Amino acid sequence: MKSRYTSLFVTIFVMVFMYLPIVMLVSQSFNESRYGGKWMGFSLKWYEALFRDSAVINATVNTLVVAFAATVISTAVGTCAAWTLNKYRLSRLQSAHYVLVYAPMCVPDVLMGISLLLMFVSMRVDLGIATVILAHATFCLSFVTFTVLARLQDFDFNIIQAAQDLGAGNFRIFVKIVLPLLGPGIAAGAMMAFTLSMDDFVVTFFVGGPGSTTLPVKVYSMMKHGPPAIINALSVVFMALTFTVAIAGQFLTRKKF
Amino acid sequence: MKKILKYVASAVALCAAIAMCGCGPSKPVLNVYMWSDYIDLDLVKEFEQKYDCKVVIDIFDSNEFMYSKLKAGGAGYDLIQPSSYMAKIMYEQKMIEKLDHSKLPSLAKINRAYLDNLAIDKKMEYSVPYMIGFTCIAYNKDKLGKIPDTWAVFGDSKLKGRMTMLNDMRETIGAALLFKGHSINTTDEKHLEEAKKQIIEWKRNLAKFDNEVYKVGIRSGEFQVVQGYSGDLFQVFAEAPELTWMCPKEGFTMCCDDWAIPVTARNKELAYKFIDFVMTPQNAARNIEFTCFTCPVDGAKEFVSEENRNHPGMFIADEMYKKGEIIQDLGADNAKYIKVWDEIKLAK
Amino acid sequence: MADDKSNFSARAGAKRFTEWLFTAPSLLWLAVFFVIPSLLVFAIAFKTADPAGGIGPGWTLDTFANVLRSDYVSVLWRTVWVSCAITAICLLLGIPVGYWIAQQREKYRYWLLLVIIIPLWTNFLIRIFAWRVLLHPDGFLRSALLKLGIISDDVFLLNNLGAVITVSVYTCLPFAILPIYAAAEKFNFSLIEAARDLGASRFKAFVSIFIPGIKRGIYTAIMVVFIPAMGSYAIPDLVGGVDGEMLGNKIAIRASANRNLPEAAALAALLSVIISVPVLLVFLKQKGVLKNVINIRRSSGDSTK
Repeated sequence: MKSRYTSLFVTIFVMVFMYLPIVMLVSQSFNESRYGGKWMGFSLKWYEALFRDSAVINATVNTLVVAFAATVISTAVGTCAAWTLNKYRLSRLQSAHYVLVYAPMCVPDVLMGISLLLMFVSMRVDLGIATVILAHATFCLSFVTFTVLARLQDFDFNIIQAAQDLGAGNFRIFVKIVLPLLGPGIAAGAMMAFTLSMDDFVVTFFVGGPGSTTLPVKVYSMMKHGPPAIINALSVVFMALTFTVAIAGQFLTRKKF
Repeated sequence: MKKILKYVASAVALCAAIAMCGCGPSKPVLNVYMWSDYIDLDLVKEFEQKYDCKVVIDIFDSNEFMYSKLKAGGAGYDLIQPSSYMAKIMYEQKMIEKLDHSKLPSLAKINRAYLDNLAIDKKMEYSVPYMIGFTCIAYNKDKLGKIPDTWAVFGDSKLKGRMTMLNDMRETIGAALLFKGHSINTTDEKHLEEAKKQIIEWKRNLAKFDNEVYKVGIRSGEFQVVQGYSGDLFQVFAEAPELTWMCPKEGFTMCCDDWAIPVTARNKELAYKFIDFVMTPQNAARNIEFTCFTCPVDGAKEFVSEENRNHPGMFIADEMYKKGEIIQDLGADNAKYIKVWDEIKLAK
Repeated sequence: MADDKSNFSARAGAKRFTEWLFTAPSLLWLAVFFVIPSLLVFAIAFKTADPAGGIGPGWTLDTFANVLRSDYVSVLWRTVWVSCAITAICLLLGIPVGYWIAQQREKYRYWLLLVIIIPLWTNFLIRIFAWRVLLHPDGFLRSALLKLGIISDDVFLLNNLGAVITVSVYTCLPFAILPIYAAAEKFNFSLIEAARDLGASRFKAFVSIFIPGIKRGIYTAIMVVFIPAMGSYAIPDLVGGVDGEMLGNKIAIRASANRNLPEAAALAALLSVIISVPVLLVFLKQKGVLKNVINIRRSSGDSTK
């Protein structure tokens, strides 16, 4: 029983570790002081300021659009890549494929940003939200692929063989067998992609064009004149919304069953 | 390959456009590329109404990144805001326009003392000075009392771990050069060597070299002495009466962010109108109060609220322009500073 | 017999076609958006730098010679050991968490994952500022540690490598947990019970059955933590001290403030090589191992025929 308790304790420790700064952040969002650190009294002024600041709201919308699109693209392409990497793992093509998927993780983001910028410009593609999405999908792709690949370890291809023998078509096999089996891996990969995209600053900065400012770009630049307290409020609103959506989703699916 | 890429890009753009579902009316658009929180946004709204146009503001946080982006050619901005040294480089590389003064009547009110003593572009050939700041030292007067105005404060080992200097080679080496009685734009290796030794000595007392967190740090009491930029620190002081500042007697660095129009601008007329609009004394006064930096427009003082009117940091006196020094680009000699800065970072 | 053979080759052809078909999306995507631009930039490492910040016309090998200078060694060493520490701590915490979550009832699992990842959906910088409040010299954490006598008066929690490691672990941990969970979710926990029945201790069963059982999840976790840690620069910048510079900071500074893109590119190439060596070794070994296993399986399969 000891190990079961150990893992429970570690999990509790990790949860506390993950949420301690979040508790700080939430309390700071109600702090009158712009610079935080010292408590100057309870205030909702940052929330008011947030709803008046169209630039921050615009940037948030941009961020979500980019993160969503990049997640969809990278998850679809990445799952495909992981599938082939696992299934045909001995072929020469897959060795090259593996190196290619692995390599983008090794390039620092400053260089990735500059290199994509040079390419987009030399191909005369107008910089904007589309180029940001393409760039994000590129660096998320590797992370998704490797996460799904982790799930595929010791995948039993006999199941597919059996389904084929029973006369199931490729599409049916994919939807009814492969996807559910890969589900947790794909979900984990998608979460990773979404998170990475939401936080990226450097690559976005380089490949963005007029009107494509995302939240991290905005926040980094706001830093020049001190920490943007209104982003605390934004983070709280965003987390609250996420939890609400998740809980609502849970209830809706529960009713169906 | 190009075609495929274009298809992909346009498909993604389409999705994005649908997702944003925002197709506004086709007013003329002015794309501005500038520092964050550097202009009163109500003023921008007034400009939009006055000229029936839309102003899209994108932001950058470093001159160099802004430069590499424009240099690569893919920008599409009508108005940019480089610091003076960067404006000079960009002009020499033919990246920004020579200005047509007939379209900028408000330039007549730009402060002569600044232009004659300090400015790099004294005739405003390619840039209009927007906001001037200087580096100064902020400290906690409740804990430390009044401290003498000298850079030597960083040598005080009693404050070990509670002080920061900027993480910017020109500013920090510049501080040591001034302390040693040299120009901040020196290219003499002996001077640089002296400055290096000085900073390595100071480094033992510093918590870190920092450009970002010092403002929170001094506010929350984590740091007690910081080297920082004037306007940003004045914004902190507004809510922290225990803090004060000083300009070291050995001298200090100054910098200015300018307006400039890229040669690739699509809407130059509107860009001129925008510059002219923000540089009138009334509007300059509003931006001064918004940023706490100095907009060198004569007569702006009259439009500022009573409490700020006599602020010695927000309205830089003419003699300060003589005392301060502006950071200039040193071309190939920059390498000397880079080398010294690398050595400082490595030194124990 | 002959029929069988032609059938086989047709099948092999079809198999090859499907392989290409499913490989094509990622292969093409990466070729266009990664290989071409990267080649463009790494070529720059062999160009001369122009003092204004552009790229000079000539070609040179000096930049690379410059990068291999001795004074990068200490920065490099610091980068490597800090990244190793971050990775080790992430695994130490991530494996038990993945193990625990995978054992929970299915409807709770996604919730737990979501709860772990959501802190990262707040803005990166804001999180770091929250950490600075937590680790503040007069904050409750340091005061408590001081009262308990765990640290002495001259120890600060901020502006040192300890802070860099703590905050990096905070940022990377969910990325370690996700692949470990993805692998563990499929793990057959009755194997552990079986080992227990055979007399193994829980810890022994955990180490010798569970960990090899989720091997690929752990490899992935190492990759997604170690590699970004090697290139990180924002965290050392914001919570590190005077001696906290890592290779990522050098690259960022060369590319921005120093306006020396060739040297940034050369440093990045150096970084990529350093990262690639251990991981490619693991990969090759893994492939070798796989080959051996399959050979054994084949031969045992033959013998039963």
